[in-house]
Amino acid sequence: MSEQKQTIHVVDDDEAMRDSMTWLLEGEGYTVACYDSAASFLAARNDNMRGCIVLDVRMPEMSGLELHEKLDALGSPLPIIFVTGHGDVPMAVSALQRGACDFIEKPFNNEELLSRIKRALELDCQLAARRQRDSIIEHRLEQLTQREREVMQLVVAGKLNKQIADELDISMKTVEAHRARVMEKMGVRTLAELVKAVMTVN
Amino acid sequence: MAERRRLAKNRFMFIRPPPRQPKQTWLWLAPYAAIGIFALAMLILTGLLQWREKDTALSALEGDMHWAERTIEARLRAHQDFLTELGREQEFRQLTYETFQVRASRYVRDNPEISAIIWVSTDGKVEWVAPNESTATFVGEQLTGIRLSALQEALRTRRELFSPDYAGADQRRANDLILPVQQGSADLGAFIAMQSLEGLLRVTLPTSFTSRYSLSVVDAENREVFSNSSVRPTDRRISGTISLDLPSNRLGLNIVAYRSGGAWLPFVPAALIVFLTLIATATLLQLRRHARRRAETEEQLRAAYAFRQAMSQSLVTGLRAIDLDGRITFVNAAFCRMTGFEEAELVGVAPPYPYWPPEEFDQLQRNIDQALAGQAPPGGFEMRIMRKNGERFDVRLYFSPLIDAGGQQIGWIASMNDITEPKRARVELERAHERFVTVIDGLDTAVHVADAQSGEILFANRAFQHIFGFDTVGRDSALVTAACRPAPEALALDPSDIDPFTLPVEIFDGEIQHALSGHWYHLHERAIRWVDGRTVRVQLAADITDRKHIDEVNLQQQKRLEQTSRLITMGEMASSLAHELNQPLSAIANYCAGCVKRMQAGNYKLEDLLSAMQKASDQAERAGKIIRRMRDMVKKSDPNRQPIALAELLDEARAFADIEAQRTSTQIVVDLPENLPKIVVDRIMIEQVLLNLIKNGIEAMHDTPVERRRLSISARQIDERMLQVEVADNGHGLAEEDVEKIFAPFYTTKQEGMGIGLAICRSIIEFHQGHLWVEARRDGGTVFRFTVPIEEIDDE
Repeated sequence: MSEQKQTIHVVDDDEAMRDSMTWLLEGEGYTVACYDSAASFLAARNDNMRGCIVLDVRMPEMSGLELHEKLDALGSPLPIIFVTGHGDVPMAVSALQRGACDFIEKPFNNEELLSRIKRALELDCQLAARRQRDSIIEHRLEQLTQREREVMQLVVAGKLNKQIADELDISMKTVEAHRARVMEKMGVRTLAELVKAVMTVN
Repeated sequence: MAERRRLAKNRFMFIRPPPRQPKQTWLWLAPYAAIGIFALAMLILTGLLQWREKDTALSALEGDMHWAERTIEARLRAHQDFLTELGREQEFRQLTYETFQVRASRYVRDNPEISAIIWVSTDGKVEWVAPNESTATFVGEQLTGIRLSALQEALRTRRELFSPDYAGADQRRANDLILPVQQGSADLGAFIAMQSLEGLLRVTLPTSFTSRYSLSVVDAENREVFSNSSVRPTDRRISGTISLDLPSNRLGLNIVAYRSGGAWLPFVPAALIVFLTLIATATLLQLRRHARRRAETEEQLRAAYAFRQAMSQSLVTGLRAIDLDGRITFVNAAFCRMTGFEEAELVGVAPPYPYWPPEEFDQLQRNIDQALAGQAPPGGFEMRIMRKNGERFDVRLYFSPLIDAGGQQIGWIASMNDITEPKRARVELERAHERFVTVIDGLDTAVHVADAQSGEILFANRAFQHIFGFDTVGRDSALVTAACRPAPEALALDPSDIDPFTLPVEIFDGEIQHALSGHWYHLHERAIRWVDGRTVRVQLAADITDRKHIDEVNLQQQKRLEQTSRLITMGEMASSLAHELNQPLSAIANYCAGCVKRMQAGNYKLEDLLSAMQKASDQAERAGKIIRRMRDMVKKSDPNRQPIALAELLDEARAFADIEAQRTSTQIVVDLPENLPKIVVDRIMIEQVLLNLIKNGIEAMHDTPVERRRLSISARQIDERMLQVEVADNGHGLAEEDVEKIFAPFYTTKQEGMGIGLAICRSIIEFHQGHLWVEARRDGGTVFRFTVPIEEIDDE
């Protein structure tokens, strides 16, 4: 997974809004990318994008809500902050119900916008970290043999070595050997760590 | 009875198609071949039989011949022997004349073929004759000719011999058996037996022989010497020849069998066979021709049958034949179609027939009895019968006698026509006419038809009579309709001068007021060809008085609607302007905040800040433009304040709200005190406020029970300057916190609301130096109150 820098993607049809937003956010040291329509964002996006989207609800052609639906369908993990005008409140509510990250009403307080962006980026970091961790554990799990996997599942279920040996009809020694290899392959030292790793993925 | 029925049924067999037989020409050849073979066999058989018969006859002939030969030879030898015995005795001179006479006479008597036995001297002179009474010759007679030479030959050869035949005394052929007698070398003479050949044959051969065969004796030169042949025909094929070996004279005996029967007899069987064969062939040919004619007739019959069948099947008229007892013998396809019964269900059925409806049994039975008695009316019976599915329909049935090929009546044939349709059509036509009259009379439009020349009214409907009086038909149209008639110059053309070939043609189409009643009519007049061919004027006069009134009202309402919509558009415009303003304001905020942040951090370039500030000021200018645009619009709709009665405004507002009120069954109660002063307001604006409040009230009572949906509007003067108007509903009421918020722009408690209605209302009222506020009612519901200025008359 190639790590990209966190970028704030501003999607707004109003040129002044895009420009002023860029000015404000770059002043805060963020990287900003602007798109003049939902379609141009869809054309530019990829799965490895990091950061968040600041999305205007009212846009000609494809509205912010429609873009949200499309992104959901594509499985995009980027958090979205909706920017709404007056009378768009019910729209924003339904967007939140659909799982949007946040929304902010125009005209907005700068500090409020910045704090929401900060929160969204943190969320993005967590999501990215979790994705990475999950993929590592999954990768390790794939390394296990069938027998080791069985042993591991029983270990995680809290069975004693003797019980495992009985259940799988193998010797205690073999169980111990399997168990040691599982711990080694999964890169954990204690049983608790193993359980945590398995639980995260499952 | 049953026999007659069967017979009648058989007579109807002709309606069945004759069976089609396969053509087998080779079958026709068989009899010819058989006849030929039979004739041939018979001919061969006959030939064989004849051949065998001939064979038998030949072998019989042969036997007979040999027998005859032997018999004749034996006889002749006996004669020789007798003469030889005489000769020996003469030789030794032992024979006397007397002895000779006795012996020879006896011998002659025993052998009738011998006419005499004589003794001749060597020179041929007869010396002795026995018997002495014989007439054949006499003593002293000199032998001459062939007899003498035969004698000399015999003497010379010294051997007995037969002389050639000669004509005897009785002219019968005879010859001599000569026996020379010598003594030593000297000739003494000779004994001669004179015999007749005919006699010889007659004596030696029995009658049974001679009756069967024709005999002829031929000499050595094959010259016929003697023949006993009669006129009877002989069969040359069955013949034979015997040679009689006589000394020195060879004679042949030809035997030919007589034909048994005629000469034609052997050909009789063959001729018979040929004759019979010819007859048989001729008969066969005749039969064949007959059969062909028959087949042709059958073919024609089949064609005629098929044609008849097709005809009867294609008929739309139902055909039914019954025998003399009323039993159905035939029905055609149309009959089956009409009644819905299968042919098999009808044929053979006696009355009552299955298509008789039970309720008509008596009538139909009477009809059929009458028909069978030959008393059917020539116009046929009209009756009602029943389809298989029980449906009744009317038919007309005509009876006529059914005559067979022999000219004998075998039943009755009935043709049936479905008269339901014609009957229905007639009724339909009457009804259509009735409908036409009803419709025309039911019209509000006055319709009348007048002759183009004379003006005589030919037809007028009820509406016309209501307007222009009853009993108008026959009178002059110009007089009757004088009060409501277009001026002659307004007509498109002169009605009395219309070319009949251009019909129909428009004469007048316009609106005209009745001079007496004041009603308005839309008059439409055209010239058409009347049912009897003459040119008439048809005039339709529709009363449009009400419509004219409604049009006026609509026109006024339309004007009002336009004004109202201008106000509504303004509200929407305000909302969209607010949205537009958001953009530059947010941008300005962003630019400014960005600048502030950078300056706070001390991390900036001056030109960047300048550029951002420039952009911010551009956005401020943009916002200014938006504001200006809004102001321009408001300026255009500058309120036009005029004194006006509140009641008038309320009426107009209610005209709009009534639709909604009726839909929701809301009762609107207006309670205005008498003598309310006029208010000085912009009529449309205040109407809009009222309409808004009424609509709000109606909507607020959405969940209120129907009987409590009541909106009251009242007004009172609160001081010398202001009038207070109150709109109260029994709706859901307002929460405490909502009471102030509802006037804020874009605040709404309604699902579809924009949230600007009340804000605008308040703006309008405040624009009129009044107030708009809301209070909750104690018994639920809400009351809106606003104040507006009243006309100040005296202060001016």
